[in-house]
Amino acid sequence: MSESLLFLIPLLPLCCAVINMLFGMRLPRLFAEIMAVTGVAGAFLLTILFWGYAEGEGTRVVIFTWLNSGAVDVSFAMNFDRLAAPMTLMVTGVATLIHLYAVGYMHEENDYARFFGLLNLFVFAMLAIILADNLLVLFLGWEGVGLCSYGLIGFWYRKLENAKAGTKAFLVTRVGDVFLAIALLWLFAATGTLNISEINAQAASISPGVVIVLSLLLLLGACGKSAQLPLMTWLADAMAGPTPVSALIHAATMVTAGVYLLCRLFPLVSISTVGMTAITAIGALTALYAATCAMAQREIKRVLAYSTMSQVGYMFMAVGAGTVTGAMFHLLTHAFFKAVLFMAAGCVIHLAGDENDIYKMGGMARRGPVELFWVFLAGAVCLAGLPLTGGFFSKDGILLALFTHPDPTYRVFWLIGVLTALLTAFYTFRLVYLVFAGEWRGTGHPHAIPLQMRWPLWPLALLGLIGGMLNLPALVGGDEMLHHWYGDLAGRAVTASHSTEWMLIGFAVAIVALGWFAAHWRYRNYRPPVENRVSRFLLNGWQSDALVDCLLVRPFTAMARFCSSGCDRSLFDGTLEGLAKMATRYSALLVQLATGRATTYLSAFAWGFLVLLGWFLLKLVNGGGH
Amino acid sequence: MMIPFGHALSFAAALFVLGLTCVLLRRQVIMILIGVEIMLNAASLVFVSASAYWQQVDGQVFVILLMAITAAEVAVALAMVVYLWRRKRTLVADEFNGMSG
Amino acid sequence: MTTVLFYILGFIMLTATLLCITRRNPVHAVIYLVAGFFALALMFYLLGAPLAAAWQIIVYAGAIMVLFLFIIMMLGLAPQETPEGPGWRRWGPLVLLSASLMVCTVLLIMQDPAAGKEIGDFYLAPQAVGESLFGRYVLAVEMVSFQLLFATIGAYLLGRPLSKGEGQ
Repeated sequence: MSESLLFLIPLLPLCCAVINMLFGMRLPRLFAEIMAVTGVAGAFLLTILFWGYAEGEGTRVVIFTWLNSGAVDVSFAMNFDRLAAPMTLMVTGVATLIHLYAVGYMHEENDYARFFGLLNLFVFAMLAIILADNLLVLFLGWEGVGLCSYGLIGFWYRKLENAKAGTKAFLVTRVGDVFLAIALLWLFAATGTLNISEINAQAASISPGVVIVLSLLLLLGACGKSAQLPLMTWLADAMAGPTPVSALIHAATMVTAGVYLLCRLFPLVSISTVGMTAITAIGALTALYAATCAMAQREIKRVLAYSTMSQVGYMFMAVGAGTVTGAMFHLLTHAFFKAVLFMAAGCVIHLAGDENDIYKMGGMARRGPVELFWVFLAGAVCLAGLPLTGGFFSKDGILLALFTHPDPTYRVFWLIGVLTALLTAFYTFRLVYLVFAGEWRGTGHPHAIPLQMRWPLWPLALLGLIGGMLNLPALVGGDEMLHHWYGDLAGRAVTASHSTEWMLIGFAVAIVALGWFAAHWRYRNYRPPVENRVSRFLLNGWQSDALVDCLLVRPFTAMARFCSSGCDRSLFDGTLEGLAKMATRYSALLVQLATGRATTYLSAFAWGFLVLLGWFLLKLVNGGGH
Repeated sequence: MMIPFGHALSFAAALFVLGLTCVLLRRQVIMILIGVEIMLNAASLVFVSASAYWQQVDGQVFVILLMAITAAEVAVALAMVVYLWRRKRTLVADEFNGMSG
Repeated sequence: MTTVLFYILGFIMLTATLLCITRRNPVHAVIYLVAGFFALALMFYLLGAPLAAAWQIIVYAGAIMVLFLFIIMMLGLAPQETPEGPGWRRWGPLVLLSASLMVCTVLLIMQDPAAGKEIGDFYLAPQAVGESLFGRYVLAVEMVSFQLLFATIGAYLLGRPLSKGEGQ
């Protein structure tokens, strides 16, 4: 196949999206569903077919020139290289399975065309981010995923809180997008191009101060999409969307776009140590913050949302520690196991009769199909980082990279990472115990689970469990496949003595075991939740919404009120209305002149005549006659 | 006859101002019309004096034409007075203020 | 002699006009005005315009003023023209205005070099005026005659009985 056909990968989902959006409701339902799935599956197959083009230096294809004006030359270019290819494969593969799942999940929904149209459009936008060779194209995809995310979070917009959650996600990510846009413009000013490869090549020639600012701006942009501190408030509320959306957008793909962006521009970002430390710090703080929040959540999907935030924090830490391999490795395994967790959670919610509260579940292992428990458990052990699962190896790689970083401050981040791993194990098993163990505590009637919702779980669960094979460390006889695949894009090679590695592995195992036992001890037998100040604080995500409200929303409202009532209404409107009133008043005086009486006009005429004569006289007196 | 031209003109001016005063001062439409007639006569006097001063015939011709036009004007004006009287039963000019702003 | 007569006639004319404009009774006013016009006609004669003088008496004093009288009598206008009568505040400024106009006009006339020159003896026979009217100015005569025709039609239209909705 010719390399010029690479554009088919993003084009297929886009075409399906457009057809679904324009004609979806007129087509037979089955056709719309099949088309949506086929579009993504086709992209997946094409990615496999084109795999060879990614090797070596990758393949760049210019599809068409987008903008060309003087120094600005933006072409719609694709870059299918070693970094993009695995990500493309993962996104299309996971998206295919989630689309299949969604067919089952949404089979009672009437507005299917909008749903599948947006879902396909999302896949297109995500592929645009991944395959973009130009930052403006990347930005197009960046905004596209934001738009689709907004539309899908608020999919059931008739409920006000859903619509509000969508708006919140849109606005908060937009804050990050502004920073990204500034970074883009600055990069263009500094390098004169928006081409990613050229920017990376010129990165060393940009002055160090600018690089620091640029990497911080890029970090803030990535924070918005990836729900990292301080722009993390939207992700938990984004769970208002349908579960397939949560699985696809808010767990597997979109939230990792920030990580991907940093990896894509890694040659630029890695120049500044300040920027790298900031990335690690943000990741570490978010990981810890989200893990603590997840411990107290009551809704199953919110637990998973906070865990996503926490895991993306790990990926940020990996980027900050200089290992792109570590970040991408964790990104891939996380996509598998988090997608399976979300999809299984969707099944659980179905079984519980649309009940979200884990304290009103329990006994799910016996209530539903037995495989549901096993796939959920598979995802959970990956998340908790149980040894030999994919999550274990990827997380362990990140912790190792933090531990072996030459800068001693990274030991602090390593400690935070370890602490987070402990909390992760704890809240994961808390979730498992509360949902599956014990007796049924709920009231709802179970819905049937269609077949399409059941079997896509298996391949994902399997991939999550064996995901470690992707980059098995040499210590346990692996060949570090992913690291070698990335080659010069992989960032810092993490090297450590075997004893250190064994020590760290042992430590990690102990940590997971400790978390598990704590959860076992606390939640093996159901006890009603304890409401206290700490749990409320954690439940509300450290009161971050109230904080944002206090710090930003209220001053903004106050300012707006001042501008509206203080400036606009009093000052401007007052002035204008005052002028208008003055004009009316004085024109009323003028109107009195127009009495409509001939005598008035005649006398005015006579006075004018007098003035005229007087002027003639004056002229004569001054001019002295003729 | 030894009259300075200016004196004749001054008489005409005085007559004109009297007519104007009548127009401005009186409120009855009839009296306003009379004021207009006085002013027209002042103009006639100027024409005649000028005709005598320059020893030309044209001034007197204009006086004749002026009289004819005045006759036409008076005919219409008095018809209008009758009309107004019929409409409002008054001839006070200030009562006809339909064009008031 | 004629010079003195001219001034006397002038003052008679001004006095009659002044009396005319100050009368409350419109009939009296018209009578005074007729007197003033007679004096004016004599002034025309002294200025060498016998035809204009004759027309002044026949047309002005005889026809136009009588028309005024007819209308005044036909409508039966009351002598009191307004209930409150003219007050100082109303006519004070107007009289002042007229006086200033008078002064300005006379000053303007008097400073002209021609004002000091005397009007010589002049007599124009009616025949000459008639020849000029129907010779050089025949077009003007025609136009004025049309004017008179239109005025007649207009007066007729205005004099019709009021149609519905036109009354008070």
